[in-house]
Amino acid sequence: MPDPIVNLGVDLGTSRSSISSSNGMRQAIESFVGWPTDLVARKVLKKEVLVGREALENRRMLDLRRPLERGLIKDGSEKDGQAVRELLQHLVSLVGLGPDRDGLKVRAVVGVPAAALRVNKQQLRNALRGIVDSLMIVSEPFAVAYGLEALVNSLIIDIGAGTCDFCILKGHYPAEDDQRTLTLAGDYVDEQLHQLIAARYSEADVSLYMVRDWKERFSFVGEAPETTEVMAPVQGRPTPFDITEEMRVACESIVPALIETMLDLISKVEPEYQESVRNNVILSGGSGLIRGLGLQLQNALEEIGGGRVRVVADPLHVGSDGGLALAMDAPESEWEKLAA
Amino acid sequence: MAKLQRLKRRMIRQAVQENLDTMRGVRRGRRARLGYTTLLLARIVFFVSVPAALFASTYVLSNVSSQWRQSSWPEVTQSRTPTTPRTTSSTRQEVASSVPEFSMPEPIDPAVLPLALRTVVVDPGHGGENRGTMAPAGLVEKEVTLDIAKRLRDLLVESSYRVIMTREADRDLSLRDRADLANRSRGDIFISIHVNWLENREVRGVETFYLGPTDDPYLKALAARENQDSGYSLADLRDILQQVYAGVRQEESRRLAEAVQVALFESLHEVNGTARNRGVKSAPFGVLTKTDMPAILAEVSCVSNQVEARLLMTPIYRQYLAEALFRGVESYSYSLNQAYEVGG
Repeated sequence: MPDPIVNLGVDLGTSRSSISSSNGMRQAIESFVGWPTDLVARKVLKKEVLVGREALENRRMLDLRRPLERGLIKDGSEKDGQAVRELLQHLVSLVGLGPDRDGLKVRAVVGVPAAALRVNKQQLRNALRGIVDSLMIVSEPFAVAYGLEALVNSLIIDIGAGTCDFCILKGHYPAEDDQRTLTLAGDYVDEQLHQLIAARYSEADVSLYMVRDWKERFSFVGEAPETTEVMAPVQGRPTPFDITEEMRVACESIVPALIETMLDLISKVEPEYQESVRNNVILSGGSGLIRGLGLQLQNALEEIGGGRVRVVADPLHVGSDGGLALAMDAPESEWEKLAA
Repeated sequence: MAKLQRLKRRMIRQAVQENLDTMRGVRRGRRARLGYTTLLLARIVFFVSVPAALFASTYVLSNVSSQWRQSSWPEVTQSRTPTTPRTTSSTRQEVASSVPEFSMPEPIDPAVLPLALRTVVVDPGHGGENRGTMAPAGLVEKEVTLDIAKRLRDLLVESSYRVIMTREADRDLSLRDRADLANRSRGDIFISIHVNWLENREVRGVETFYLGPTDDPYLKALAARENQDSGYSLADLRDILQQVYAGVRQEESRRLAEAVQVALFESLHEVNGTARNRGVKSAPFGVLTKTDMPAILAEVSCVSNQVEARLLMTPIYRQYLAEALFRGVESYSYSLNQAYEVGG
């Protein structure tokens, strides 16, 4: 007899979203949702809506949305609200929970960028209503901290695509004062890299999507671990380009702001706990994997007495795993109140 | 490990609360801190007001202490008449006149008080033949208090507290037996759960009591009602009260009462918008007398008010009440931890 309850942890990210299910399945997709732009596109694609990689690959025929652009649902955009909904629905279906659930009760903890939770709380809840039986929305850094059991005297730096969320954990659910958000994150690095490449290699035909892919494979700060050579068409002919310096400059463009915010937040912690926090800085999110970034942040901590920065090894699922842990730990009495 | 589990439970509850606020359209932001700040302010007010209060109560009590030996306490302890429906103005006056007055005892050294909070004694008011108050729709206090107590027990156990229930079923239990059980179990705090009945049926709200003298006729009457079946003799009570009144246990009880009252009102105000904060008060409740730990009695709603009686009939409201009590315990526990951290 199947378990009558399935718990889900979901990380709705600007760039990627992931899901972890108590049935043992884990999935991740690109956070893109697209609707065919016209009848022809609909006929070719044979779908009303496309999600994830499929949407990205067919983007020329789609009204393509990244619903949590810059960490927010765009104000007044019903389409983006709908896109969030499609995204969650698709994720849930990927772990085997289609419309026919055979009496299963589905509960989900959904982690979203902290800025979205601050600004779009109600819209988010409305957008996600009805997809699962019970729904809890939390800030992504909190889900990460929960999954890692770093709930006291820690600093989570979650660098996603749209935003970089800082969150100090003090043993209670983070209040607004405990969190800060920068819009200097992965997307900003992409834009910088795109501009730098275009400035140096004006003949190269380079799209933002190509730049994003290169960044995910070769990003670094500090000393270059290798020469970064990529292929891009010049008048249709694939041509190699060395973008090592551009990659370094683009990736380092966010570092000063990260360091400044990190040091400032730590300085706001009660003095007796600052050392504990300094030694418990956790770097998470896709852009947290920029090579050398953890070390640069750790070096910056030397200014205030030193500390330790740990980089999360599996940033793709750390948020959804944390959400799943939350969902499984939340008692029945709490879930009863959160009927979606 | 237990500490981590407790921390997780607390954070989950806070996360759920934030979600509920969103669902209700309540802007919350810094609520959790407000609770602690309120508690801190209450403590400051308390420490400023204690000398004045002690002076005032000394004056009042010295005037009435001569009445002590003539007091009619046995009438109170022997009164086993079911209390529903309870007070009319004439009966209230009769009962009030039967409550003894008290003399001021010697202070107790603060160091005797255990402050670590691990074991919570939960006392569902009334039980068995003592039904407590009753609403016209058939709501009986002894059943409501037991249900809320069980919900509170579950929340506390989930957060790794050790919980002692004075009763788990509908059975008679004297106030003395309740206190004895709490003491034998080495409880760290004692919470007695009751629902109120007020003559003015328009009034609704929550109030929390700790043991202390009062000259308010309403509180005397209320204490007399709740003190039925105490199981104490007059001599017992006199000795007990002398030990208690100026003690730190009383101060701790008051702090616990403040924490619970803040949590109760903050939580219930959201689901029961016109509920009044009837405040923290001292009164001579028998069930609070012989417990060795900080002890409070919470009147969590007014069953005499039609709206609150209807709310009390719903499991979700009773769950809210249990959670509010739980938050009060957590807040008090948190304040103890803070004291340790700050003071080493």
